[in-house]
Amino acid sequence: MMAEFFIFALVAFSIGAVLIGISQLLGRKFKGIRKNDIYESGMDPKGEALRRYDIKFYLTAILFLIFDVEIVFLYPWAIYYLENKGSTFLMAEFLFFMAILLVAFFFFLFSNSLKWEE
Amino acid sequence: MNILLVLLKTALVIGIPLGIIPLILHVERRGAGFIQRRLGPNRVGPFGLLQPLADVFKFLFKEDVLPSHVRPVYYYLAPMISLLFAILPLAGIPLCGKIDIDGTLFRPEVFHSDLGILFIFALTALGPYGILLAGWSSNNKFTVLGAIRACAQMISYELAMTLTVISLILVYGSSDIHAMIASQGQLLQIPFISSFLGLPAWGIFLQPIGALVFLVGIFAESNRLPFDLAEGESEIVAGYHLEYSSIKFAIFFMAEYVHVIVLSALYTHLFLGGYNLLPGADFLAEQWPLLTPFFEFVCFFSKVAFLIWLFVWVRWSLPRFRYDQLMDLGWKRLLPLALGNLIVTTAILFWKHSS
Repeated sequence: MMAEFFIFALVAFSIGAVLIGISQLLGRKFKGIRKNDIYESGMDPKGEALRRYDIKFYLTAILFLIFDVEIVFLYPWAIYYLENKGSTFLMAEFLFFMAILLVAFFFFLFSNSLKWEE
Repeated sequence: MNILLVLLKTALVIGIPLGIIPLILHVERRGAGFIQRRLGPNRVGPFGLLQPLADVFKFLFKEDVLPSHVRPVYYYLAPMISLLFAILPLAGIPLCGKIDIDGTLFRPEVFHSDLGILFIFALTALGPYGILLAGWSSNNKFTVLGAIRACAQMISYELAMTLTVISLILVYGSSDIHAMIASQGQLLQIPFISSFLGLPAWGIFLQPIGALVFLVGIFAESNRLPFDLAEGESEIVAGYHLEYSSIKFAIFFMAEYVHVIVLSALYTHLFLGGYNLLPGADFLAEQWPLLTPFFEFVCFFSKVAFLIWLFVWVRWSLPRFRYDQLMDLGWKRLLPLALGNLIVTTAILFWKHSS
């Protein structure tokens, strides 16, 4: 049944492609060295665009990965709990899992890894 | 699989959101004028209604600049991929209830996944890729910085939203979107009082904290004010679409509005009763049973329209956050709130099930 989804995705992708194609046909073209230059508030561009950026963004991405994987583990747990309502074992499991998650959360909260400004 | 049916559904599910984007644009501009006590666009067509259409044609006739320093293939691919990833979640969102024709049930959504709501969230989470690709392929300091900032913001708020959905699955007792909406069609049950003022069992009454976290989350996910740090004019010129011109720039805006519509529809399905008939409108379905899907669609659409107006309202009422405030709100306020909400919800449900 994935075919339905691929038809949908193809239609969705072609909307953007067709619009850009029409604009290529209709729009006029002028070339100019200054016009095609990098926009840096009217100054002469300096240095590479892909220079080093703040490590905080990288840390955010890693923290997101850790927490998101743990949250995704909770989905099967929720479905399984709904099939065995009131199971003490599953509830204990959940509390154990959340305890580990909270320890990790408080560790990163007090490690100042997401402190942006002094 | 009936290919005509799939194409019809695809046309409807893509056509309706794309068709109302000009209307949203108009409401947004006139709403801004209304809130700031000025007129807004009122010259093109009656009440300025044709202004968005005029804008689209202007974008189409503008020069398509290809700057010399960009990575050409990805530069053209980025707007298309942004729009694609914004539209994709619509495949799993139903516009009305299952349609019963001579005993056969037709699903209103284009694609039904057994993963239920998780599949829709997986598709919504693809959003940052289009923005990152745009920022990186433009090869400009401002665009790269804007893309990284937008990406960090979107993934931060996604955590709290996803946690909220787990507590919703526990409350509604299913991860299938139709079952979740059907569960919201009942009356609200409160201990000691059987039904409270005849309120429906909507998610916003069952999970008020979750509803608040999710509402802030959808504002941050769609990069709208007060969370539009991806394009803070005073800091990074225009953010990730700085080097884009003509229709490519317009496609990014279309993607943003489609994102707003998708997230409003998700919020409606999860917290505002979805396509269930509004309280007091049940007699419509009894009187004209054949038109029930239409009434369901109207009820669903009016809730989504209200949420979109809320987006406009908030946009012109609140100033932009600072970046450290934004990250603090996401990681130090909303995430603990969502975690606590999940633990309390699970504890109450366990107490209810075991007693």
